[in-house]
Amino acid sequence: MKAFEYATAHSVNSAQEMVADNGQYIAGGNDLLGLLKEYIVDPKILVSVKSLPGLDRVETGSKVWTIGTNVTVAQIEDHSAIRKTFPGLAQAAAEVGSQQIRNVATVGGNISQHSRCWYFRHRDVLCLKKEGDMCYARHGENKYHSLFTGNTCISPVVSNLAIAFAALDATAVVQRAGKPVRMSMAEFYAKAFENPTAHNSLNPGDLVLKVEIPTTRTHSAYMQTSEKHEFDWALVSCAAAANITNGKLSNARVALGSISPVPHQVDAANEYLEGKTLDEATVTHAADMILHGAKPHEHNGYKVPMAHALIRRTLLKLNA
Amino acid sequence: MNESEPAKIGPFSRRTFLKSLGTTAVATAAVQAQTMAAELEKVNAEKTIGPGTVPVTLKVNGEMLKLQLEPRVTLLDALRNYSSLTGSKEGCDRGTCGACTVMINDVPVYSCMKLAIEAQGQAITTVEGLAKNGKLTKVQQAFLNRDALMCGYCTPGFVMSVTALLRKNPHPTADDVRHACSGNLCRCGTYPRIMEAAFEASGVAKVAINKTEVIPYA
Ligand SMILES: Cc1cc2nc3c(=O)[nH]c(=O)nc-3n(C[C@H](O)[C@H](O)[C@H](O)COP(=O)(O)OP(=O)(O)OC[C@H]3O[C@@H](n4cnc5c(N)ncnc54)[C@H](O)[C@@H]3O)c2cc1C
Ligand code: SF4
Ligand code: FES
Ligand code: FES
Repeated sequence: MKAFEYATAHSVNSAQEMVADNGQYIAGGNDLLGLLKEYIVDPKILVSVKSLPGLDRVETGSKVWTIGTNVTVAQIEDHSAIRKTFPGLAQAAAEVGSQQIRNVATVGGNISQHSRCWYFRHRDVLCLKKEGDMCYARHGENKYHSLFTGNTCISPVVSNLAIAFAALDATAVVQRAGKPVRMSMAEFYAKAFENPTAHNSLNPGDLVLKVEIPTTRTHSAYMQTSEKHEFDWALVSCAAAANITNGKLSNARVALGSISPVPHQVDAANEYLEGKTLDEATVTHAADMILHGAKPHEHNGYKVPMAHALIRRTLLKLNA
Repeated sequence: MNESEPAKIGPFSRRTFLKSLGTTAVATAAVQAQTMAAELEKVNAEKTIGPGTVPVTLKVNGEMLKLQLEPRVTLLDALRNYSSLTGSKEGCDRGTCGACTVMINDVPVYSCMKLAIEAQGQAITTVEGLAKNGKLTKVQQAFLNRDALMCGYCTPGFVMSVTALLRKNPHPTADDVRHACSGNLCRCGTYPRIMEAAFEASGVAKVAINKTEVIPYA
């Protein structure tokens, strides 16, 4: 790690002022210290956001729940009311890294984390994402990469929480240029779909304040498949959320992780599920629609049937 | 959050303005002396430190360690290289192996992924801090009884993870133990014995010492 300055922010304004153009926020540090140790980022100053007042709480409500940016992933996993109201979110949290990581990992850090592409993470490789001139994964080892993308980079979003948030139609509230801006998960990552150097849509200095989850959907579930049973990144992850009344779905949403730079969602499939009964035929058709147009690379073709199975299982799990 | 306060005071930002004032100047300033003093306190709390060394006080195993560290020094390096507390091991230095696991306020964390300055003001427990008056804890004794180690490099980390688990959940299932210890890797593969040790320490079940693997891995 190169040397850096360090400061603890006690207000949102001063956090943004101190981070300026060449600083970086630090929350749990799980992602950032990895990047610093590999000399991939080179901030002049780290500004801790952990002492920002009021952003470390889960607030319940009849219409919307608010999760502060500094709430830890372990708090979400263990929160009995979240487990009951948004089981898909608690399940996504329980699968993040290990106990030691979840204990310090924050919500804001989880959704803002940078690419896990092994070329990007290699200190000596200057790929497109680091403003080099090519994507090494496209013609190299792309086992963990995307099936969908809108640009040359095929590094997928790997945040577990973002996938659950997307299915629950959650909104990230981000302080930008002196004002809070509200972004759906699609918007929070949109820039990464278009622009190979982006990890998400945050501009330098943008500060995630909280995530708001509407209570609209009474059922939710999250599943992932990894190479190891525990403590491993998802090869593919899937979250689904919906209302189920008399066996019929409404407001259903499905989102997949690790197959696109954004949580992969297909509006037409969500619409197709409206009013349907959860059965094998319905979920198979939905999975077909969601994966339509997938473009596997040399080593990640396995993700297509894996994602198909996960969509079906996760949707059927909503009934459980 | 201070939406009400101006971000800029003349050509200065609030921070640089306050930084350029001495305490006396603030105290004697006619304008809202009290508010300004409160502000100054906050700005000082927000003061930028480093990149050179700064005083860092860590409370480790009940004792205060006073160190001079650069902000970039991790808690693991502070313990091992600046304080001779070598019980916590360095394996990967990337949050993937668990050898460096310590407890901060009873919660297990990777000390390699935590800056030492951020661990100030909290109760840090390393493996050295478990035994009291030379008497091993139940968990440590169970690791010995079950011979739950080969080279022993991963052991301090596992002991911390199992200790933290039993504090939170005194009667874990095999799945609970797996979930709690998934962030610890053992290159020698003593997992079945570690599982036995966790059960022995929790008193959950009588587990026979087995020569072969008996834990059903689903
Ligand atoms: C071994 C290992 C395994 C992992 N496994 C998983 C996994 O399975 N699933 C998963 O989802 N993640 C995983 N992670 C990734 C990730 O580090 C954590 O999930 C964690 O949530 C990151 O949060 P943090 O608070 O530690 O982030 P930090 O490292 O503090 O920050 C991450 C990034 O977000 C920025 N940031 C932090 N807070 C804010 C804010 N409020 N506003 C704007 N920007 C902010 C930082 O500047 C930085 O760029 C893993 C990490 C490691 C090291
Ligand atoms: S996938 Fe993206 S991050 Fe990976 S090598 Fe290609 S451009 Fe770089
Ligand atoms: S040394 Fe910290 S997890 Fe490996
Ligand atoms: S006993 Fe050798 S690594 Fe676990």
